[in-house]
Amino acid sequence: MTTAGTLPPDEQRLAVGSPIQDTRGDKIALACIYTALGLFCLAVLYPLVYVISASVSNTSKVSAGEVWLWPVGFTLDAYKAIFDYDAIVSSFGNSVYYAVAGAVVATILTLLAAYPLSRKGLPGKGLIMALFVFTMMFSGGLIPTYLVVDQLGLLNTRWAMILPTALAVWNVIITRTYFMVTIPEELVEAGKVDGCSDFGFFWRIVLPLSKPIIAVNLLFYAVAQWNSFFNALIYLTNEHLFPLQVVLRQILIQSRVDPSQMPDTSKLAQLKELQQQLKYSLIVIGMIPPLLVYPFVQKHFVKGAMIGSLKG
Amino acid sequence: MRNNDVNARAGLSRRSLLKGTLGVTAAAAGGGLLAGCSGSTSAETGPSAAPAAAKVTLGTKTAGVVYPDGYVGPVARELKPITTEKVTFKIVVPQDLTVGDWKTNAFTKWLEQKTGVHIEWNQVGGTVDDVMTKVNAMIAAGDIPDAFMGIEFTRSQLFLYGQQGLFTDVNQYIDGYALNLQQAMKDYPDARKLVQAPDKKIYSFPHVNDCYHCRASNGRAYLNTDWIKEVGLDLPKTTEEFAEVLRAFKKADLGGNGRTIPFCGYKEAPFDTYLMNSFLYTPGDPWLVVNDGKVDVTFDKDEWREGVKYIHGLYAEGLINKDVFTADQDQMLRYGNSPGKPIVGGARATYWGAFLDIDQKDPNARWRKYVALPPLEGPNKVRYAAWNYLGVGVGVAKLVITKKCAKPELLVQWADAQLELEAILRGYSGSNFAWAKKGELGINGKQAVYGYTQTEIAEKNVNWYQFNPMYRSQDFRLAERVNPKDLTFESPLYQQTADSYFPHKQPQEMQFPPVTLDQDQAAQEAELKTNLTSEVNLSFSKFVTGQLDPNDDAAWNDYKDRVEKIGVKTYLDLEQAAYETYNS
Repeated sequence: MTTAGTLPPDEQRLAVGSPIQDTRGDKIALACIYTALGLFCLAVLYPLVYVISASVSNTSKVSAGEVWLWPVGFTLDAYKAIFDYDAIVSSFGNSVYYAVAGAVVATILTLLAAYPLSRKGLPGKGLIMALFVFTMMFSGGLIPTYLVVDQLGLLNTRWAMILPTALAVWNVIITRTYFMVTIPEELVEAGKVDGCSDFGFFWRIVLPLSKPIIAVNLLFYAVAQWNSFFNALIYLTNEHLFPLQVVLRQILIQSRVDPSQMPDTSKLAQLKELQQQLKYSLIVIGMIPPLLVYPFVQKHFVKGAMIGSLKG
Repeated sequence: MRNNDVNARAGLSRRSLLKGTLGVTAAAAGGGLLAGCSGSTSAETGPSAAPAAAKVTLGTKTAGVVYPDGYVGPVARELKPITTEKVTFKIVVPQDLTVGDWKTNAFTKWLEQKTGVHIEWNQVGGTVDDVMTKVNAMIAAGDIPDAFMGIEFTRSQLFLYGQQGLFTDVNQYIDGYALNLQQAMKDYPDARKLVQAPDKKIYSFPHVNDCYHCRASNGRAYLNTDWIKEVGLDLPKTTEEFAEVLRAFKKADLGGNGRTIPFCGYKEAPFDTYLMNSFLYTPGDPWLVVNDGKVDVTFDKDEWREGVKYIHGLYAEGLINKDVFTADQDQMLRYGNSPGKPIVGGARATYWGAFLDIDQKDPNARWRKYVALPPLEGPNKVRYAAWNYLGVGVGVAKLVITKKCAKPELLVQWADAQLELEAILRGYSGSNFAWAKKGELGINGKQAVYGYTQTEIAEKNVNWYQFNPMYRSQDFRLAERVNPKDLTFESPLYQQTADSYFPHKQPQEMQFPPVTLDQDQAAQEAELKTNLTSEVNLSFSKFVTGQLDPNDDAAWNDYKDRVEKIGVKTYLDLEQAAYETYNS
C-alpha cells in the first residue's frame, strides 16, 4: 500500500513538470536512429582502431590473426623501423610541405577567381565560367600536360606538385555561390558610396566575412594534396622530393607481385617482412595529419560547404 | 624479373593497354623531336661501327677464390677502369627502400670507383605499374635518359621501342665489349633465342638469374609430416591416396575444435598447377603448351575436366578451405600461423613463407614440419611437375640503353663489369660476404665459393636489390655456403625441389617459350588473354565449388562454347606464329 503523498517515480517526475513525453513512435524512431548511427560509427571506428592496434602489436601475432581489437604483444618496433628509412621520413616532410603550400596557393587562386565571378557587373562572366566548366569535362591528356610542365621547367621541382592542376573548378563554383549568397550586391554598392575600391572591398569586407569558405577550401585542397600521388609519380624523378603516398604505394601495393615469378626467395621473404612490419604503422602515419586538422576546421566546414552548395 | 614477360602481359588490363598505345602513338612524335635536338651529340658515335674482335680484355682472376669442379658461372677478376676521362650517364631507376638513395648507396660508390663511370640517377616511385606509366610518359614526351635500369619492359615493348630506334641494339657491342656476357651466353645456349627480338636484335642487356627451385614454383605443394605420422599413413603418391590422407586429417581433426583445414590454397597460388598435372601437363596461366610443334591450350581438354571433377570432389567433401578462391596472402598466413597448434594439413604454395612465417633459427620451427609433396599420379598414370625451363634463368630488360646515349659501348662495359663475381656479390649484399674456404659446402653439397656473413640481408643503402644486370648462374647460386649451425630455408628448398619435382618434369619441348609479339599482335593478344584468363578462372572456381556441375555435360559444353566464343582459335594462331618466329 502506498501512503498518500508518495507517488510512483514516473508520476513524480511528471508532477515536477518534465517536457511532454515522447510518443511510442518517437521512441522507436529514436532507437532506430541511435542503432543505425551506432553501427555506422562502429563501421568507421573499427578499422581505425584495428590499424592502430596492429601497428603497435607484435608482427607475428598480427599475421597469426590474434589481433582483432586491442594490441597483442605491445611494441613500438614498427615505428622505430620507420625512422630507419630516410625515404619515409623525408617523404612525410614533403607531404606536409605540399599539403600546406598547395592548399594556400590553391585557396588564393580559388578566391581570386570566384569573387569576380560572383558579381553581376563582370562582362563576359558567362563565357569565363563556361571555359572553367569545360576543363572539368575535358583535359589535355597525360602526354601534352607532361610536355607543358616540362617546357615550363617545372619538371622535377617542388612546383610541379603545387602549380599544375592547382585550381579545382568544383571549389570555384562552391566559393562563387557562397559569395553570391552571403555578400549581397547592396553591400558592394554601400561600399562604393563610401569610396571603397574593388580591391579594398575584397580585402576589408569580403575576406573577413568568408572564413567558413576559406576553411573549406583549405581543407579540401590540403586533403587532396595529401592523398595525391599521380603528379608526383609523373613529374618527379628525385626521391628527395617524393611525397608519402608514393612510398606508401610501393610498400603496400607491391605485395601483389606474383610469388611464383620471384626468382629470389630471400628477396621475397625480405619484402614480406618489410610489409608486415611497416604496413600498419605507415597507414597510421599517413592518416594522422588529416585527423589532427579536421576537428579544427569542422565547424566552418559544415557551414561553408552547405551555403556554397546552394544552387547559385 | 618479378613478373616476366608472359605474366606481365597476362596482367595487362584494357586500361593499361590503352595507356600503352597512347604512349606509343606519341612516342613516334617524341622520338622525332629527340633526334632533332640531340642529333649532333649522338651522330658520330652511333651504332655504325660494329666491332668484330674484342676491344677490351678481362682482368686477371682474383687469387684465393675456390671453385667446385665443373663450376659454370661468374668468376672473380680484377675490374679495370673503363674510362680515364670523366663520363656521366643519366639512368632512370625505380625508387626502393632497400636501395635507399642511389647516389649514396655503397655499391654505387664501389662500382664508380672501380669503373670510373659516374651515374646521375633519376628515381621513379610507386608500384611496378606506376613506374611503367611514368616511363611511357617520359618516352612519349621525348624526355629520355641514357638508360633505364630495373624497369620491367616486356619483350613486346622492347621490340616496339627498339624498332622505332629508341632503344639501342646491344648485340653489336657484345663481341667487342662484353666478355663476361659472352661467356654467360655460351654457358646458357638458349640465351640468344630468349633475349633477341624477332628482328634478331637484342634491345636490352641480358641477365641471368638461374633460380633452381623457381623452376618448380608453380607446381609446389606442402604436407604436414607430423600429421601424416599421426594418422598412420605414408606420403601420398596417387590422387586417390592424397584424398585418403586429407580425409584422415579431417577425421582426426588434428587442428582441434573442427578447425582443421586438410588442404588449403589462396588466390595468388592457383590450385590447378599442382593437382591438374596429375591429369595432363599444364603450366598454369595462360595454360599454353606445345604438342609436337603445335601450340595448344589445356583448359578445354577432357583431361582438364577429369581434373576439375577430382578437385570438385575434394572441395565437396570439405577437404579444401572454403575460401580457396578468395583468400589472400594475409588470410593464408592467418591459417598457417594459427596460434597454438597448426590447423593446416597441407597447402598449395610457392614456398613455406607463403603460408607460414619462417623462423630460420629454431630447428623445430613449424615450417620445417611441412615437406614438399611430389606430384601425384592420376588415374591415367599421368604425373608431371610443371617445370619452367625457359621463364626462369635468362631474362631481358634489366638495363636498356637508349639512342640518347652518346657512348653506348661504355655503358655496355659498365653493365658487363656487373657480371663479375665480386660485383655480383656486392650488388646483392653490400659487403656482407666472404670467400669460402676449401672444404666448406654450398647449398648443393659441393664446394662453396662464397658465403654471406648475415643470414638475412637487412642492411639498407648497401646493395642494388637485383635491379641491375647480373650473372647468377645455377652453380653460382648453389655455391652459397651453408652454415651448419644456422640453417636457412634455401638448402631444404633446393633439396626438396631436386628430389620431388625434377624427376617428374615434362619434356622441354612441351613448354611454351616466352615469345615476342609486335605491336598489333600484342594489343590483340592482350585483350584475348585477359578475357580468356578471367573466363577460365571464373569457370574453374565455379566448377570446383559446385556452382556449376563438372559431371553435367551441358555445363561443360557451355563452358567450352564460352571459351570458343572469346576466340581461342585466334589466340592460338597468334601464339603459333610467335612461336614459329621464336624458333626460326
